[in-house]
Amino acid sequence: MRKKLPKFSLHFFCLLVYIFLAAPIVVVLLSSLTTTDYIVFPPKGITFKWYAELVNHPEFMQSFTLSIIVAFGTSIIATIIGTMASIAVVRYEFKGKSVITQLVGSPLLIPSVVFGVALLQFYSWIGIAASPIALVIGHIILTIPFVMRLVVASLVGFDRSIEQAAMNLGAGSLRVFFQITLPIIKSGVIAGAIFAFITSFDDLTVALFIVSTDVVTLPVRIYTYMQYQYDPIITSISSIMILLTVVLMVVIERVLGVGKVFASKN
Amino acid sequence: MQADMEIKQEQELLYEQKKKKSTRKKLDSWLLLLPTLAIFIFFFVLPLFFLFITSFKTFDASSGIGNDWTLQNYVKFLTDTFYLGVLWRTVKIGLITTLAAIAISYPVAYQMTIAKGRTKNYLTLLVLSPLLISMVIRCYGWVILLGNNGVINNALVKLGLIDQPLTLLYTEFSVVIGMVHVLFPYMVLSIMGSLERIDPSVIRASQNLGASPIRTFFSVVLPLTLPGIFAGSVMVFSLAVSSFVTPAILGGPQVKLMSFLTYEQVTTMLNWPYGSAIGFLLIFIATITIIVYSKLLAKSEKGVAIQ
Repeated sequence: MRKKLPKFSLHFFCLLVYIFLAAPIVVVLLSSLTTTDYIVFPPKGITFKWYAELVNHPEFMQSFTLSIIVAFGTSIIATIIGTMASIAVVRYEFKGKSVITQLVGSPLLIPSVVFGVALLQFYSWIGIAASPIALVIGHIILTIPFVMRLVVASLVGFDRSIEQAAMNLGAGSLRVFFQITLPIIKSGVIAGAIFAFITSFDDLTVALFIVSTDVVTLPVRIYTYMQYQYDPIITSISSIMILLTVVLMVVIERVLGVGKVFASKN
Repeated sequence: MQADMEIKQEQELLYEQKKKKSTRKKLDSWLLLLPTLAIFIFFFVLPLFFLFITSFKTFDASSGIGNDWTLQNYVKFLTDTFYLGVLWRTVKIGLITTLAAIAISYPVAYQMTIAKGRTKNYLTLLVLSPLLISMVIRCYGWVILLGNNGVINNALVKLGLIDQPLTLLYTEFSVVIGMVHVLFPYMVLSIMGSLERIDPSVIRASQNLGASPIRTFFSVVLPLTLPGIFAGSVMVFSLAVSSFVTPAILGGPQVKLMSFLTYEQVTTMLNWPYGSAIGFLLIFIATITIIVYSKLLAKSEKGVAIQ
């Protein structure tokens, strides 16, 4: 008994923490089903009308599309150039390597509010208007540190004799990369791409400074909408975002297993 | 003699080839780095550098940024009690968030470390999934939970514990709750890292010597995980003081923090120089914690190595 009590209290405490973690997410998901015109929890009745109602709010759908496009563009570019940079950092010795590594990791340390303000000032000086490309550039900076950490982790401990063998058999360096190297570091690259997608798709802080009246990403749309309105439409669009994230997480899990992703992230 | 010459020539040739190969390699590495470096220099280093310059400019009501140089923006912040109050509140909320995160993360990290196989995978998924779900949405969930007509207030009124709904939302309390929720996974990962490195034989030794599980925990396990707690705290603190989304949604103008002040000065007051100065003070606080930490870490390396 004396031995069991600490264990029981440990599990009980952890259960409370898990409830705390899940609470705001569950509340948003369930509130989206309410029949009332205002947000209430627990929901009164069950209906999907707030999802149907989204059709009458083309601005949400526009923002959703824009966010997907921006996140997709960010993810592809950040993954390609981040993978290239990771190969350079892991495989070559050159002057200023540590400075460069620190530079590309520093967006994690700079408050994104300050980066957003800096980017806004810079864009307005050189005359770049709010556009998907302007957003993609900002998001590439935010996501490169994640991509590089994951890809570098998969490159370290890579057995290069396989590449050497392919080269001795006459394969060109591009062919070696696409047929040997890439398949082996695939899991790190995919995880990096998905992280980049999620980070870009969720970003509010930097986007808040770059958006204009016609170019508004979904998080910014939700943020501005919820300051003036309290109707359940916000919970239905949020629930769609949550479900999208869950799908991406299942993909990560299938590809490499969650534990692995975060282990290398640390 | 001739053979000697030949060897020498051959060596020179080899040397030339090697040199060519190494310049080629250098070129390769720079070509691989070029896109990332270019984008970082143009859209990260330069903008931040220009913003830093802006923070030393005077305010001009028509264009935002005046022509004259000044230190006034920094002096104004550091001498005005209102702004110093905001600075103190930012640091205070950062500290409370860090302590709360340690308190709730440790047991969870412990449970995850002793769990095995599939359970461990599911727990990891459960704990880390909040990291991936939009911060805006999570904070909105807290708005629904903590509001005057929210779940918690309604439940407390129904239970007869209170007559009037408590003001939970737009207070320091709601900001801390939101931040702990957002930053908790970082602390868990960090503590878990040091828990997993503990050699099980040390714990067995302690038990064999007759220590109770509680005594073993406090005299063996906890001290060995202090580096993990410390590293997690630095990360959580610096992320907490610089976070924007959580205080903006759960605190709003009622609980002003440094990040919100920066945003407000730039977008509402259009006082770019002052907003930039506040932003750079914020960068200073966030990086100084990390620099002090790495200095301490370098100093204590000996201690860590012995462990």
